[in-house]
Amino acid sequence: MKINWKAYDSQSFFDELLTANGNPRLAARGIIKFLQNLPDEELGERRAAAELAIRDMGISFTVYTEGGNIDRNWPFDIIPRSISSKEWAKVSAGLKQRSRALNRFIDDVYNKQSILKDGIVPADIVLQSSNYKPQCRGVSPRYGAWAHICGSDLVRNKDGKFYVLEDNLRVPSGVSYMLENREITKRVLPELFENYSIRPVDDYPSQLYRTLASLSPRQNRKPCIVVLTPGIYNSAYFEHAFLAQSMGAELVEGSDLFTDDDDCVYMRTVDGPMRVDVVYRRIDEDFIDPEAFREDSMLGVPGIMRAWKAGNLAIANAPGSGVADDKVIYAFVPDMIRYYLKEEPLMESIKTYLCMLEKDREYVLANLDKLVVKPANESGGYGMMVGPHASAEKRREFAALIEKNPRNYIAQPTLSLSTAPTYIDHQLEPRHLDLRPFILQGKDTWVTPGGLTRVAMIKGSLVVNSSQGGGSKDTWIVESNK
Amino acid sequence: MTMLSRVADRLYWMARYLERAENTARFTSAYTHLVMDLPRGADLGWQVLVDILDAEPTFLERHRVFNEQNVLRFLIADLKHASSISFSIKAARENVRTTRDVLPEETWEHVNELHIMCKDLAEKSVGRRHRYEFLEQIISRCQMINGLLMTTLCRDHPHRFIKLGHLIERADMTTRIIDVGAGAILGREDSNPAEDTLLWSTMLQSLSAISAYRHKIGPLVEADSAVNFIFKETSLPRTLAFCLNGILNELKPLKNNEDATKVAESALNKLTRFDAQKKTFEELHQFIDQFQVYLCDLDEAITNTWFLPAPSS
Repeated sequence: MKINWKAYDSQSFFDELLTANGNPRLAARGIIKFLQNLPDEELGERRAAAELAIRDMGISFTVYTEGGNIDRNWPFDIIPRSISSKEWAKVSAGLKQRSRALNRFIDDVYNKQSILKDGIVPADIVLQSSNYKPQCRGVSPRYGAWAHICGSDLVRNKDGKFYVLEDNLRVPSGVSYMLENREITKRVLPELFENYSIRPVDDYPSQLYRTLASLSPRQNRKPCIVVLTPGIYNSAYFEHAFLAQSMGAELVEGSDLFTDDDDCVYMRTVDGPMRVDVVYRRIDEDFIDPEAFREDSMLGVPGIMRAWKAGNLAIANAPGSGVADDKVIYAFVPDMIRYYLKEEPLMESIKTYLCMLEKDREYVLANLDKLVVKPANESGGYGMMVGPHASAEKRREFAALIEKNPRNYIAQPTLSLSTAPTYIDHQLEPRHLDLRPFILQGKDTWVTPGGLTRVAMIKGSLVVNSSQGGGSKDTWIVESNK
Repeated sequence: MTMLSRVADRLYWMARYLERAENTARFTSAYTHLVMDLPRGADLGWQVLVDILDAEPTFLERHRVFNEQNVLRFLIADLKHASSISFSIKAARENVRTTRDVLPEETWEHVNELHIMCKDLAEKSVGRRHRYEFLEQIISRCQMINGLLMTTLCRDHPHRFIKLGHLIERADMTTRIIDVGAGAILGREDSNPAEDTLLWSTMLQSLSAISAYRHKIGPLVEADSAVNFIFKETSLPRTLAFCLNGILNELKPLKNNEDATKVAESALNKLTRFDAQKKTFEELHQFIDQFQVYLCDLDEAITNTWFLPAPSS
């Protein structure tokens, strides 16, 4: 395929595969060369093959609409995104460091609260946050690990550096798509794997199993691990089933479990009750136990918190982990790293202005046209304002919201998300993307080689969510020492 | 192996719904054929088909007249009626959707295709022109799925609960077909022996038992021996005796099987003592009623022993 690289204009953004003067980056040389040697039309055929594979493998996600729920096939772009292993080693070390500090923080907040007493993080923003769960006070899970599965969103800015956009510590999803993306790429671009040394990703289910097994309260026997799903109508049900199946764990709904008088949790099987050791929950903590949290929850297991507190059951992620997954707390992560680990942060964070602080608030209100304003507690891009794209009216609306409830808002400079060549209408065009690696924290810490790359398929768009027209790419960590 | 009660429940119902769809397709198809053979004025009307499913009140909620069009729409395409082919297949699919991980990989694909086929064609197949082809498709696809399950599934808990659902539904449908069929044949005002033979043959055909009958008993189909055959012949997978023996076999390796086994054994005893030779239709009907009570009790025993308790609130 002839590629007109002059027409490929990533403007001033950092491009993942090409340098500013249009040459392939080291880790991308093989991909670019392969694309250039591919006969015309063949890329289209490969893409059709990928679509067929996705349909046959039944890789889908659910979109909620007024007319009911629709299973859509997973949108996938066949051009991989590559990162050199040398660069990834740094990112990976940074993510591990961050995960260790965040877990120390959660454990501290529910126990000694020394970081609050020492005034590193203001006590009231933690204790008054809706993500702080008083029900979790005094609990200390194994290894001090709370957020066992973390899916951090990273973006690469104009300066070529990765920044952490947010730490998803509640129930991050997407890992099954990371695995399926690799599976599809192997099927449709097998030649590429011949001359490349690409880190495999399919180790994830066994790493997840190891992490979960390390949490079991009964270490002397094979643990009984279950994946707790809200059910078939959840948008990530496919992933829940996938993970359960690949770990050999049972996929359960709330009604399959019950807590007995001995404060142990059991699963109802045809052979009678069977004790459960580890619950990998894929439902929000507010719904896991009607006795402890929302009484109206039909999804949860009454008494499961009792069992967890008594140490008879491990829950991943531990209830209460969300306290560190808050856009205000985000601003303090570098300080946490210094406080707990006595290290300098290895990962970049984005400069964050806290509207609750007078000085920051003044700056934010004066610069609304340059900043992104986000509510502190929402995820998934809801209720935010992108200053440079917002109308004057929208900015006035947000100014009023900030004045009224400053604790609820933070602001950050607008970032320029990097791009990568994406196959659109028979040619390659730059599209913006992000990256979600997964960090596992049990007895050991482990980071996926790469992660899930999500790409905004619409020109110029920064929205990568699959429910809003986002797609994804296979992500390659390429050995650079060959 | 571990098996969740919820999964057992769903597999059991998947099997029941598949079997129900196949049986409904079978008797509908056989009856349509029969109607073409009968002289004008001799036909039995279409209400018989609704009666087999015990669905008269439901039917009358949406139709006033038991004509061919209404009855066939009700049996084939009515999604709000729990015994229609469309409903059964949709329900079977929902049950497979949430148990895919314990079934052979192709099961979901086949059930899904069956569902798509049914959704696309059900309404069009109410009329006689496409009806036969549609019903044949339903039957053969259900058979294919059953075959797939029987040839690939581990002989383990999932297999057991699928078999239980399949056998109970089959026994239930068999008694319904005999009950209503015999009633209609014997209840006619001016019956003649030639027509009776034709009617009984059709009934055996709808139970896919006609050639086995000819081999074992003979070419002429008579009422008493047909009923005895379909109830008590132990070698034919369609008969009540075969279903009950199968159920007892599947129950054996399950824990806490006492209640269900007791019911199945009582039903088998009752069946063994039954002989159609000396019975009036009233007596036959009474026996079938009692037998169906056993099947309900069996379903209840299985549900109470192995499935999830109903939500307490």
